[in-house]
Amino acid sequence: MANKRMKKVAAKETVATVVVMRLYIAGRAPNSVKAIANLEAICRQHLKDSYKLEIVDVCEHPRRALDDGILVTPSLTKLSPTPSANVIGNLSDTGSVLAALGVQLSPAQ
Amino acid sequence: MIDAPESTDPLLAQDKAAAEFKTWLRRLVTDTAELVAFDAGEIDAVMDRNSVSALLLPEAQTALHDSHRIALSALDALPGEICVLDAMGIVVMTSKAWRVSGAAHARAGLDVRAGENIFDACLDAPAGERAHANAVAAGLRKMLAGMRQLLRFRYVCPSPRGRSVFTLTMAATTAQSPVYTLLTREWHSPRQQTGKISGVAAGKVRRIATAVRSGAQNRLLAALPSKDYAQLASGLEPVTITYGEVLYEPGEPIRAVYFPSTCLVSLLTPVDAHRALEVGLVGREGMIGASLALGATKSSVRALAQGTGTAMRMNAKRFLREFRRSEALQRVLLQFTERLMVQISQTAACNRFHLVEARLARSLLMTAERMGSAEFHLTHEFLAAMLGVRRVGVTVAASELQRRGFIRYRRGNITILDQRGLETASCPCYRHLQVLNPPPANAPRPMSVLNLLRLHGFF
Repeated sequence: MANKRMKKVAAKETVATVVVMRLYIAGRAPNSVKAIANLEAICRQHLKDSYKLEIVDVCEHPRRALDDGILVTPSLTKLSPTPSANVIGNLSDTGSVLAALGVQLSPAQ
Repeated sequence: MIDAPESTDPLLAQDKAAAEFKTWLRRLVTDTAELVAFDAGEIDAVMDRNSVSALLLPEAQTALHDSHRIALSALDALPGEICVLDAMGIVVMTSKAWRVSGAAHARAGLDVRAGENIFDACLDAPAGERAHANAVAAGLRKMLAGMRQLLRFRYVCPSPRGRSVFTLTMAATTAQSPVYTLLTREWHSPRQQTGKISGVAAGKVRRIATAVRSGAQNRLLAALPSKDYAQLASGLEPVTITYGEVLYEPGEPIRAVYFPSTCLVSLLTPVDAHRALEVGLVGREGMIGASLALGATKSSVRALAQGTGTAMRMNAKRFLREFRRSEALQRVLLQFTERLMVQISQTAACNRFHLVEARLARSLLMTAERMGSAEFHLTHEFLAAMLGVRRVGVTVAASELQRRGFIRYRRGNITILDQRGLETASCPCYRHLQVLNPPPANAPRPMSVLNLLRLHGFF
């Protein structure tokens, strides 16, 4: 499906559970591009390989976004592990994204 | 009248309109976190439930527009003649070299411009070029169906300097990309040998090309694997169905089946000589004549077109043959028949228990969903027949929905103004049917500029 990517990789020892996320974006609009870049950087640094990310383009799948209760984009939803959480915006605030994803920072980080 | 200075400056007026649009969009946002992100300029789009679409903020619109412009100028800078097609065969953009050469060879039917459908252009080709055009259309059909990745044709065609030879190359892009096919044209000196393209019967190719174009709009046909669809396509014939046309009468033999592309057909059960009640509504998500597959030879309902549009027709004999042969078609049709039965039984219960106003709201919502538009035409008389009430009953119900600001109704032209409001006014049957019969997904948008640039190795 267009503009929809899935990444699935095995968990490593640093993070035990796989974080499942869905990012809603609007095509190649500036904040959406930033959100993808920010999220990928965060995942690379803090989640290593234990995450699964789906990117949904709301310009192509508006009904899906509406059905999922999405009102604005970019919008990141953590689906698993529970509790689910939402972050709105271009995800430049790493702290709030990590908090929403439930990632505990070690003192070294 | 004296104009204010800002209104005379088009740039300022544009800025003002953008600001007003943004203010209006902000009103759609309700949650605090979303409002904070909106005010911080971190939002690109706001979802609109009424139009089921993403409304882009002015900044995002400008950025996307700019990237489209960059892609177009990048394409123009390339020396080759390039034409980019989307999944439906619509020309997304062309390079400058393509446009210049197209204009010079307009006589040969090569002047295909952005926004045009390449299949239409093939059908409109001059008589002398018809065989070439048909071969191109057939090749494209294979590409769009995913049966070929690369095709080359070599032609001789008339040009201002006598006869010219060119090679047309079609390359399919990856399935991940919304841009589907890339056409390139290369010209050769007339001395080079040319290969003759074997022509397929013109009528057949034309029919197949059109079938590919409009068949994909029907959800049942779109759900078939490409192999099964290709098998079916040669028996499909595009037809235009006009508002008020009767496809079947009860008790009459079913001679053909219809797969609606853009039309809408109402299934009515007559109770006496003058009165009939709507029991089902079929649009692009289904087909008319599915009972043939269940062994019926005669129609039990009156199939009446409620919205003008196109459909693909197949004669009954061929349909039965294909149905027996294709397992995929059997599966798709049985699933649809099950959904139709649910719709019919729900409508029957609804007609018995719910008030006219709620039923009218449900009916309008279902029509809008199947037409893919919030504006459509339905007369009082038609609505009365659909709902099984007298015209005055429809007038009262429609006036009430209009008074509450959910719809606008003028001389049979209906516009849904407030989808959510209309949903609250409708009976629970609408929600129930929507869960069981999810509405068709929107057609994929044709463009991704970055993919286009990637294709040309820009990054």
